[in-house]
Amino acid sequence: MAMDVCGLLLDEAPDAFVVQSPEGIVLHWSRSAESIFGYVANEVVGRDLLDLIVPADRADEERSMRCEALETGFAAIESLRRCKDGSLVFVSISAKTVGDGQGRPQYLIVCKKDVTQLKVMRDAKLVDARYSKLLESMPDGIVLINASGRIVFANSQAEAMFAYEAGRLRGLPVEALLPERLRGGHVAHRSAYFGQLRTRAMGMGLELYGLRQDGSEFPVEIGLSPLETGEGTLVTSAIRDITERKRIERALHEKNVELAKANAAKDRFLASMSHELRTPLNAIIGFTGTLLMKLPGPLNEVQEKQLRRVQSGGQHLLELINDLLDIAKIEAGKVELVVEPLDCRTVVEDVAATLRPAAEGKGLAFAIEVVDESLRLSTDRRAFSQILINLVQNAIKFTERGCVTIRLARRIEGELALVEVSVRDTGMGIGDEDLQRLFAPFSRITPRSGKFAEGTGLGLHLSQKLAGHMGGRITVESAPGVGSTFALVLPEG
Amino acid sequence: MSVAVRILLVEDNPANLELVSYLLEAAGHIVLIAEDGRQGLELARKEPPPDLIVSDLRMPVMDGFEMLRHIRMDATLNDVPVIAVTAFSMSGDQTRVMLAGFDGYISKPIVPETFVSEVEAYLKAGRRKAGPPADP
Repeated sequence: MAMDVCGLLLDEAPDAFVVQSPEGIVLHWSRSAESIFGYVANEVVGRDLLDLIVPADRADEERSMRCEALETGFAAIESLRRCKDGSLVFVSISAKTVGDGQGRPQYLIVCKKDVTQLKVMRDAKLVDARYSKLLESMPDGIVLINASGRIVFANSQAEAMFAYEAGRLRGLPVEALLPERLRGGHVAHRSAYFGQLRTRAMGMGLELYGLRQDGSEFPVEIGLSPLETGEGTLVTSAIRDITERKRIERALHEKNVELAKANAAKDRFLASMSHELRTPLNAIIGFTGTLLMKLPGPLNEVQEKQLRRVQSGGQHLLELINDLLDIAKIEAGKVELVVEPLDCRTVVEDVAATLRPAAEGKGLAFAIEVVDESLRLSTDRRAFSQILINLVQNAIKFTERGCVTIRLARRIEGELALVEVSVRDTGMGIGDEDLQRLFAPFSRITPRSGKFAEGTGLGLHLSQKLAGHMGGRITVESAPGVGSTFALVLPEG
Repeated sequence: MSVAVRILLVEDNPANLELVSYLLEAAGHIVLIAEDGRQGLELARKEPPPDLIVSDLRMPVMDGFEMLRHIRMDATLNDVPVIAVTAFSMSGDQTRVMLAGFDGYISKPIVPETFVSEVEAYLKAGRRKAGPPADP
């Protein structure tokens, strides 16, 4: 059988054969050219390859190769060409001029050999020799890509991340590591990046996903940086699997939403509880009041005495509700302090003026002792007064004879200047055992006279919590039978 | 106060309704009664308008805030002071109530000994001029 050597060579040789006019118009486009570049003959014949497969940044190179071939008869370069699908291939190009017999060039015979994989192997060899130890020691997955977008190196972290066996990533287009839907855009991104090389930090840019060999996806963060080698520029891509971080972020976000909801529910509950507890108390306190005002008619002595019991019971319940709600608010972090500069002495005198009648009504002396003038505080006036009122009321309540003294002084602790507002009484005093649990809710001092003093049992607990909220504390010193001193200590300034 | 005035009381809780109306009537005032905001609004619009409206806030059908909005949009009720008597008495509640455009605020439980004089003081003060207007 006769062998059609010409046909075989033209169509079946692995390299692309192109016949061009001296002006660069394609006259023949071989079958292997079709398979390398993706364009069929009738898309190419009659056109200039500069408009088809030569990337813009390689156009000058292509033109000078043609000139050289026309002038000297031969030229050869290695360059990049763009296929119909946008991917880039490395080609080794040789061009020869064929004359018309009268010394004028008639055709350019151009042979293009796809050396993409050879180039990968060359780059890989270079990277392996110089950088593989360094890149293997990185905690992130590292993938190096050459200008054709082929992977020339992947460290074992990257192989594990994308579930490839050792060495199997080498030579693949980097788009193989991306989900299908992101590939098209990526080719353009990649070309743009090679056109304008710069280091880009991890996590900048868009939400990215990696594609494992088994087709599953995972969220990634990618950092890019150029790496110059003698054989051209490579791009180093550091890849981090952020599945776990995303999961934690999502969990945190969900937790935050949940917490905000729980917080809002707690607010609503507190507001409702306050409202619902006060509503029936309104009738109890109100009608007891109308009866005691004798609006409906006269009362006998027993009725009046018993109604006073109902009244004070109602008042007590109201105080309990107020204190409990205050504590609940402090514990829920709902107490907003309005911090303003205060002149201690003025506030103390205001509180003293309110409570002096109660002390003197019991026959107690009542005094203010100002040790240091012009002590200034930056704190919430209402909270400050509330604590002071509580301490002074307690002092009056537990003192049968003698005096209650409010003392205003500066106290130095190390480098700290503190303001100490103390309330001293000459009352029954507090035993060691009671001192231990004085600030606990509903704690009562062991009675000596056989009955507990009135009160909610929440006052000191609330005051101590409030003081803590204000950045201070309440201290106590006491000796049974001698008296007690409670002090509110706050930072001066 | 020597002259009897007509006070519209809006309150859904029967015991509190009885208590407040009892106190106001004992002081010689004429008390009109409504059990929610909608009833209150209907009653307020009957001629002649009341001299003062005393209203609870949390009520079924129409609450005190909504009733106030309707009242403030009604030209014939423009001069009638509206005061809130409410068990919303946590910190911030009074500000919230006054910002909504009420002319006065009394918290529950009320103090029966002073309640009537508080109401009369608000009546005497009349419509509050200062402060922001009611929400539209």
